[in-house]
Amino acid sequence: MRRYTPYMLLTPALLFTVFILVYPMAQNLVNSFRDVSLVREGRGWTGLLNYEHVFGDAVFWLAFRNTVVYAVAGTLLALLIGLGLALVLDVHTGKMSSVAAGLYSIPWVISPVVAGFAWKWLLNDHFGILNYWLSSAGIARHGTSWLGNPHTALFCVMVARAWQFYPFAMVMFLAGLQSIPAEQYEAASVDGASPLRKFFHITIPNLRPVSSVLLLLGVIWSFNDFNMVFVMTRGGPINASMVLPVLVREFSFVHFDLGKGSALSVLIFALLVTLSFLYLRVLARRERA
Amino acid sequence: MNAAPLTTGGTMKRIIAGAALVAILGAMLGLSCGRKEDAVELHDWNFGGKPRMIEWLRQRIDTFEQTHRGIRVVQSQKSWNMIRELLYADFSVGTGPDVVNVHANYAAEFGGAGYYYPVNTFPDFQEVRKWFVPHLLESTRYRENYYGLPSSGIAFVLVCNKELFDREGISPPRTWSEFREAARRLTKDTDGDGIVDQYGLVLLGGDKGGFAYRLVPFFFKAGAEIMSDDLKTILFNSPEGVSALQLITDMYQVDHSITPGFLAYQLTEINDLFCSNKVAMSIEGPWFRGMVDDKSPGKKIYTVPVPVPDDRIAGYDTAATLQDMVMYSINARTKHPEQAWELLKYLRNEEADMAWIREDLGAIATTRRALESPEAKNQSDLSLYVHELGHAKPWPPHPSMIAIASDIFTPFAQKAIVGELSPREAMDQAAREAQEMIEGKK
Amino acid sequence: MKKILLLLPVALLALLVLLPFLWTVSTSLKPLTEVNRYPPEWISPTMSLKPYGDMFFYLPFSRYTLNSLIVASSATTLTLFVGSLAAFAFARFRFPGRKQILLVLLLSQMLPGASVIIPLFQLLKTAGLYDTHIGLILVHTAVLLPFVIWLLHGFFSGIPTEVEDAALIDGCSRLEALRRVILPLALPGLGATALFAFLGSWNEFFFALILTNSDATQTIPVGIGLFVGEFEDVWNQMSAAAVLFSIPPLILFMAMRRTFVRGLAAGALQ
Repeated sequence: MRRYTPYMLLTPALLFTVFILVYPMAQNLVNSFRDVSLVREGRGWTGLLNYEHVFGDAVFWLAFRNTVVYAVAGTLLALLIGLGLALVLDVHTGKMSSVAAGLYSIPWVISPVVAGFAWKWLLNDHFGILNYWLSSAGIARHGTSWLGNPHTALFCVMVARAWQFYPFAMVMFLAGLQSIPAEQYEAASVDGASPLRKFFHITIPNLRPVSSVLLLLGVIWSFNDFNMVFVMTRGGPINASMVLPVLVREFSFVHFDLGKGSALSVLIFALLVTLSFLYLRVLARRERA
Repeated sequence: MNAAPLTTGGTMKRIIAGAALVAILGAMLGLSCGRKEDAVELHDWNFGGKPRMIEWLRQRIDTFEQTHRGIRVVQSQKSWNMIRELLYADFSVGTGPDVVNVHANYAAEFGGAGYYYPVNTFPDFQEVRKWFVPHLLESTRYRENYYGLPSSGIAFVLVCNKELFDREGISPPRTWSEFREAARRLTKDTDGDGIVDQYGLVLLGGDKGGFAYRLVPFFFKAGAEIMSDDLKTILFNSPEGVSALQLITDMYQVDHSITPGFLAYQLTEINDLFCSNKVAMSIEGPWFRGMVDDKSPGKKIYTVPVPVPDDRIAGYDTAATLQDMVMYSINARTKHPEQAWELLKYLRNEEADMAWIREDLGAIATTRRALESPEAKNQSDLSLYVHELGHAKPWPPHPSMIAIASDIFTPFAQKAIVGELSPREAMDQAAREAQEMIEGKK
Repeated sequence: MKKILLLLPVALLALLVLLPFLWTVSTSLKPLTEVNRYPPEWISPTMSLKPYGDMFFYLPFSRYTLNSLIVASSATTLTLFVGSLAAFAFARFRFPGRKQILLVLLLSQMLPGASVIIPLFQLLKTAGLYDTHIGLILVHTAVLLPFVIWLLHGFFSGIPTEVEDAALIDGCSRLEALRRVILPLALPGLGATALFAFLGSWNEFFFALILTNSDATQTIPVGIGLFVGEFEDVWNQMSAAAVLFSIPPLILFMAMRRTFVRGLAAGALQ
């Protein structure tokens, strides 16, 4: 009896995992080799045709590149902001710092839909406050379109995404900073180390484990992020900010080609799993070394 | 092991019990909202819509419920630029609204797929059809069946900001060169800070479907076709079609008279810019005057036909623009087709149509009685729309037409306008992909 | 004096990071004629709460709010229940397959919503759960579970086993120990996790967008998401809806921030 207890405890959670992950991915795998459409009778097994269609689609390659940029650069940006603010908060202590930490965390609590909307309105070419400031400062012209320009749209969405993710990084970094033993700094002070030296030789190395976790989670979450792009640009203009999750929806629910959508889903999942395993392997090796 | 946390004492218990209570209360409320004793419930979806129109519709539904005891109507506003997705998702499941009000060109797509109820099977259809202007009713037909009742005729026209035209001392353009010239002159720096802050033309670029509707009128005015009459060959890459795309491309790239950010714009932004005098022209339909009026009461606009190529000026009065129509249809899977048909007739009968004339709801009447009534003369722009509708062309009735327009035609045309492809290349590539689609290769 | 000097950048930074949200708040209070004014103004004398009343005209936001409450509170309850059982198993038992099961949970952590949506859509369709509250609650629970288990695992592991052993010696079973000893001790952690789950479900957009389709089931994010760019003229009403919808999570978060942050750190840095 005792031996089965943990399994019984885990059963409900596992059932949910099967429901949300195992079954859908298995179904995707099957669908990706078939012709399935929402709007007409499917034609049955088609082998690798769906994958050929995905790879032959120029928008796929564009979205792939965009997604990598969006996930990696966006996460790095968020980590930088988060680290900066965590350092600011770490200097201050007491009530003040706590209030500030609360305020800095607000973007994280706001729904992505609201965040996307807020940024879209802020960036509005003619009536947004951002263009007003930039043009007052002589940096950009009034009426500059940020989301309507294929060269800047993705960048803007990425900034909005970083804005939502940095508080998570900040909180984690702050916890990391506060767990660094004070003796290390004291010892360094005795040796006459400059603050900058202390930062690079004590703070940064101590934050490495947190940063790794954050980088991994951030990239995975951003890679899968659908909301920001959908709300701000729907992947436009002319697909310039198209990312893979939005493209899956396009294939499946705009073109109603479930087979092609499934093939793309399988590819995304495989990519993410491979990436994370490689990353975890590298981390483990570094820790052993 | 079951329900272990529920019996834990103190705060924990309260938190969980509280959450559960909220959930249960909510569920009960939800159930009670959704149920009314024995009444037949009809769901009606409308896409987009102006405040006045929505208000009118809700009043009309109220009186319907009062005069038709035992029928209850649940009306919802849905997203205009997600019509296809929303309806397909539901229709493919076999659910969805009983009554829906969308473009007539879905007659081919949804009628062909068996999702729409053929209304000509109702016994009194022969009577009902006499209410409507015949060629508008024809737009609801696909093959041998009629799939709805016309609700608003739409012709795409050129809308001009009168204030800006007057300031410049020019009148609305009739030919393409006048059009280009007007747009150029209306593009300017009004406050002298060296930055252009007023543009000649804006186009709805952020909505893939909506953009095609605004570009195709130029194709038709140039004499281009979208598809052959037998619906087997794509024709929009003809020299006439390419010349229409060339016009817009030149205005964007050479004259810079189109707002630089148009690719991101939804209808919201178009109206924002128009009402704040930042653009002078747009291609719109009957809804636009109402939108402008709600935002800037009293603002004057000209509505004129979309300009024609210079060498076709002789045919100015007869050149086709894009005809679109909105129609009320019935879901083929509805459990209450008779009641749905009653609602359809009630919303679209001659008396209802008269209200559209009298109250200027931003929709063009479709019944003969309303259009021929003395009041019709007072409705703004009505004569223009009636005139344009008299010789406008609808999208070819191919089931893939809407997909081709928004997912192939629009992206390629936009690539040409911003200079990624030449108009010729863009239209040829688009035509090739569209051809593959109608031949079922994709 | 020195304190104020230190304070200033902290406050300025707060203004900077909150800019998009503050701009939305400002817009939500303006009449339409002010919304498209250039140069834009942060505060104008014509501001009022009117847009907050007007926003109910286009879309039934009160119904959406009810839907959001139903879904978020049910999903939170369910996630916490299922999650604490699983977390307890990981924290207190060594059993064959433990590592593999953890791995599967880790995999669902990198769940691409877009990748599973098609089969889920079909599954819910066949089960008659498409466009229902229950369907969405189940999906939200499943999506939130891995992270919730991860967090709870951290909390449970932080509770010394001695406490539990004492209970066992007193004759309790393992499950009774969970109920009587561990859960009360982990209460702050459970609260923080509940907050996380509630926020996650309350804010969730993607699944709600695709798995619901009617006013009786759609949640507020879907209402707002579909509002964007759709109903002309109404940037102020949109903003009002966005602000109103953000208030419950903000209050919850502010009230429980400390525990939440502590819990997150404990869970993540274990």
